[in-house]
Amino acid sequence: MSDIRAYEGLAGLRTDEARPAAARAAGAAAGPLTLRGLLRRAWFIRLLAVGLLVFIWQWVTWTNTRVPGIDEIVRFMITEMTGGSHGGQLTGEFWEPLSLSLQRYGIGLAIGVPVGAVVGLIMGASRWARGLFNDTVLVLLALPAVVWAFLAALWFGLSAWGPILAVVLTAVPFMAINLSAGVRDIDQGLVQMSRSFGVPLGRRLYHLLLGGTLPSGFTGLRLAFMTGWNSLLIVEWFGATSGVGWRARFWYDALRYPGFVAWIFLFVLLITVVDRVLLNPLERRAFEWNQRPTLTFEEEL
Amino acid sequence: MATVLIENLTKVYPPTSNNPTQVQALGGVNMSVTGNVFVAIVGPSGSGKTTLLNIVAGVERPTSGAARALQEGVPAQIGYVFQEPRLLPWRTVVDNMLYVQDRKSDRSRREAEFYLQMVGLSEVADLYPAQLSAGMQQRVGIARAFLVNPDVLLLDEPFSHLDALTGRSLRDYLQRIWLQTRKTALFVTHDVTEAVELADRIVMLRPGGVAYDDMPVDLPRPRRPGDPAVREMQDEVLRRFDAMGAAVRFGAAEAAR
Amino acid sequence: MTSAPTLTPQSVSELSVRELRRGLWRRWGLRLSVLVGWAVVIAVWYVLARFVFTTQQLPQPHIVATEAWDVLSQRNFASNLQASILRVAAGFLLALALSIGLGLVIAYSQWWRRLLNSVLLFIVSVPTVSFAILSLIVLGISPLGPVLNAMIVATPYITMNLARGLTGVDRRLIVMSEAFGRTRAQIIRGILLPSSLLSILGGARLAFAVAWRMELLTEVFASADGIGFQIRRSFESYDIRGMLAWAVLFVAIMLIVENLFFRQIERRFSRWRSPSMGDAP
Repeated sequence: MSDIRAYEGLAGLRTDEARPAAARAAGAAAGPLTLRGLLRRAWFIRLLAVGLLVFIWQWVTWTNTRVPGIDEIVRFMITEMTGGSHGGQLTGEFWEPLSLSLQRYGIGLAIGVPVGAVVGLIMGASRWARGLFNDTVLVLLALPAVVWAFLAALWFGLSAWGPILAVVLTAVPFMAINLSAGVRDIDQGLVQMSRSFGVPLGRRLYHLLLGGTLPSGFTGLRLAFMTGWNSLLIVEWFGATSGVGWRARFWYDALRYPGFVAWIFLFVLLITVVDRVLLNPLERRAFEWNQRPTLTFEEEL
Repeated sequence: MATVLIENLTKVYPPTSNNPTQVQALGGVNMSVTGNVFVAIVGPSGSGKTTLLNIVAGVERPTSGAARALQEGVPAQIGYVFQEPRLLPWRTVVDNMLYVQDRKSDRSRREAEFYLQMVGLSEVADLYPAQLSAGMQQRVGIARAFLVNPDVLLLDEPFSHLDALTGRSLRDYLQRIWLQTRKTALFVTHDVTEAVELADRIVMLRPGGVAYDDMPVDLPRPRRPGDPAVREMQDEVLRRFDAMGAAVRFGAAEAAR
Repeated sequence: MTSAPTLTPQSVSELSVRELRRGLWRRWGLRLSVLVGWAVVIAVWYVLARFVFTTQQLPQPHIVATEAWDVLSQRNFASNLQASILRVAAGFLLALALSIGLGLVIAYSQWWRRLLNSVLLFIVSVPTVSFAILSLIVLGISPLGPVLNAMIVATPYITMNLARGLTGVDRRLIVMSEAFGRTRAQIIRGILLPSSLLSILGGARLAFAVAWRMELLTEVFASADGIGFQIRRSFESYDIRGMLAWAVLFVAIMLIVENLFFRQIERRFSRWRSPSMGDAP
C-alpha cells in the first residue's frame, strides 16, 4: 500500500512560523537599534521580504503594460469598497460578493472538515478501513479542483451548492490523509501504558488521541483551508453569478485589469488573514506544551 | 493478597518483513509470586523479560499458556514503570498522573502531589515533561505507578536509560516508597546489582525459559549497593550465571554463532 | 518453582502455522478491502449517473472508460500529453536549479533563511488560481505560462526540503569523518548526499504533484493545447464525457509518476533506514 503521507511535507515549511519560541529567540537576538541590529530584527526581515515581493511586482509592471501598478490597484479597490463608479462604467460592489463567498467557504468547511476528520480517524484506526478509503482519497487529492468546478457547474447550475461542494470535496481528503497519518504516528508506548493502567476509553480518546493527532490535524486543517479557498474561487470563476471569483471574472471580461488584479490580491489577503487570525493563534495554544524552555536549574539529587 | 501466576507461558513473534525468521521470546515459563514481595527477574537481553511483563500487564497476548495478576480472585490493578518515562508530552506532570487515576477530585490531585513529593518533585507539578531531565521524567513515571494504588507493580528496567549516578539515587527513591507501601512487585533488569539491592527473590531467565528460581535474597533493608552482604550475594548470582554455560545463557543458536 | 521446559521444534512450528494463517488473512483481507473500496466508488458513481443525474451531467463509468480509451488512441492525445509533460518537466527542472541555489543559502545562513522563508511561505499560501489568471494577463495565451507557474509553485517545496535535509545531517558523523581525515569531497559524497537525499526526494515528489496540477490549471486558463486546455474545451462544448476522460487520464498519469517513479527511487535509496522510521506496511 502506498504511503499516504504525501502532502504532509508542507508541515516542514511552517516550523519557523508556527513556533513562537523560535520567533522570540529571533527577536531577542537583536541588540540595541544599530544598523546591524536592525538588519537582524525579525520584523525588519519580514518587511524586507514584503519589499522584495512588491519590487518584483513593480518590475513586472514596468516591463509589461497590461499589468497594473500597485497604486492603480489600491485606488481601484478603494472605489470598489466605497461604492463609487469606475470611470462611469459600473458601480462598485464589494461587500456582497465577499460575504457570499465567505458564507459558502464557511459552510463548505463546516461540512468537509468534520467528515474528513472522521474518515481520517477511522482510516488511522483500522487497516481494513485504510484499504477501503486509501485509493479514493488519493484520487480525490490528485483530481484538480478545476474538474470539480466544471462538474459542479454542470450539476448545480449557477446555484450556491456548486462552490460549497467544491470546498467540501477539497477539504475531505486533506483532513483524512493527515489525520490517518496522525493516528498511526501515535506513540505505541503510550497506548501500551494506557492499557496497562486500565485508563478508560473516554479519557484515552481525549488525552491521548486528541493530543497525539493535533499536529497532523493542524496540517490537514491548514491545507483544507488553503485549497478549499482555491477551489471556491475556481468554481466561482467558471460557474457562478456571485462571489469574489465571479467578481474577478467580471472585471476580467470587462478588460479592467486593475479591478481584476485587485480582486486577486484580495484572495491572497483574505486567506492570509484567516491564517493569521484564526489558525495561528489556535495552533499556538494547542502546542503550548512544545514551546516552554527546558528547565535550567540543576536536578536536585 | 495479590498473586501473579505464570503458567507455561510461550510467546512467538511471527516473521516480519525485516526479520524473516520467527522470534521466540518466551518458551514455557512457569512462575508464581504471592504476597507483598519484591521479585527481580534477571536475564540477558533476548530472554523475553519485557514480553513477560507486557503479558502480565495485559498489553500483549501470549501465543500459549497464561499469565494472570489477581487480587482476591479478581484482576489486579497494575502499576507499570516502563524503560522510558512514557509521559504524554502535551500534558503537565500532574495531568499525566491524573490521566491514569480513576477518581477525579481535589483529593486525587492531593494524592498525585503526595507521590510527586515522595520522589522529590513537588515543585514541577505544573511543568511539561519536556521541561524535565530524563531522571526527573522517570521519577514521575515511578510516582504515577504508585498513584493508582496498584495491587501489582511492574517495573521494566526503569533505570537502564539513565546514567549510573542518577539510577542509583532513583533506586533509593524506589526502595523508600516500596518499603512504605509493600506492593507485590515484578522488577525486570539485566543489572545484578540492582536486583540484589531491591529484591526479596531473584528469578534468572534465559532465552526460552526460566534458568533458575531458587534464590531468595534475605538481607536487611534498606540496602546500599556497597554493603558487603549485597556484594557477596551479587557475586553468587554472577557465579551461577557463569556456571550455566553459553548454550543455556544465550540460547543454543546464539552460542553456535 | 524451578522449571525449564525445553521446547521441541515441533511445537514451535505448530504455533507458527497459526500465526502464519493469521498473517495471510490479514494480508488478503487488506487486498480485499482495497477492491471493495474501488467497487464502492464505482457503484456510487453508477447509481448517481443512472438515477440522479442525466447523461449530460454525469455519464456512467463504462462510458467514460470507453471515451478515455478513445482519447488514448487518438493522435490528438499524444500531442496534448507531450505538450503538458514537456512544460511540467521544464518547470520542474527550472525549479530544481533554482532550489539548489536557494536551498544551500537557506541551509547555511540564518539571515537568508528568515528572509526567504517568508517569501516561500507566501508563495505556498497564494491560491493557485491567482497564478493561473495572472499568467493570462501577463503573458496572454502562451506556453510559457504553465512552465513559469509550475516552476513558481514547485520551488518552495524542493527548496525547503533540500534545506531541511542538509540541516538535518548528523553533525557527529561529520566530526567523525574529519577525525579520520576524510576529504571534503568524501564527506559530501559519503554523508551529506545520502543523509539528505530522502528529504530531497520527498520534496521533489511533492513538488511534482503541485507543479502538475498548477500546470493543468494554467492550461485551463491560458493555453491553446495540453490536457488542461482539452478539459476546458470539452467543458465549453458540454462534452462531459470527454472532460471526464481527460481528467481520468490526468489523474492516472499523476498517480503513475508518483507511485512508480518517485516512490521506487525513494525505496531504492531508503533501504538503510530501519523500518521504525516509516516503512509502509
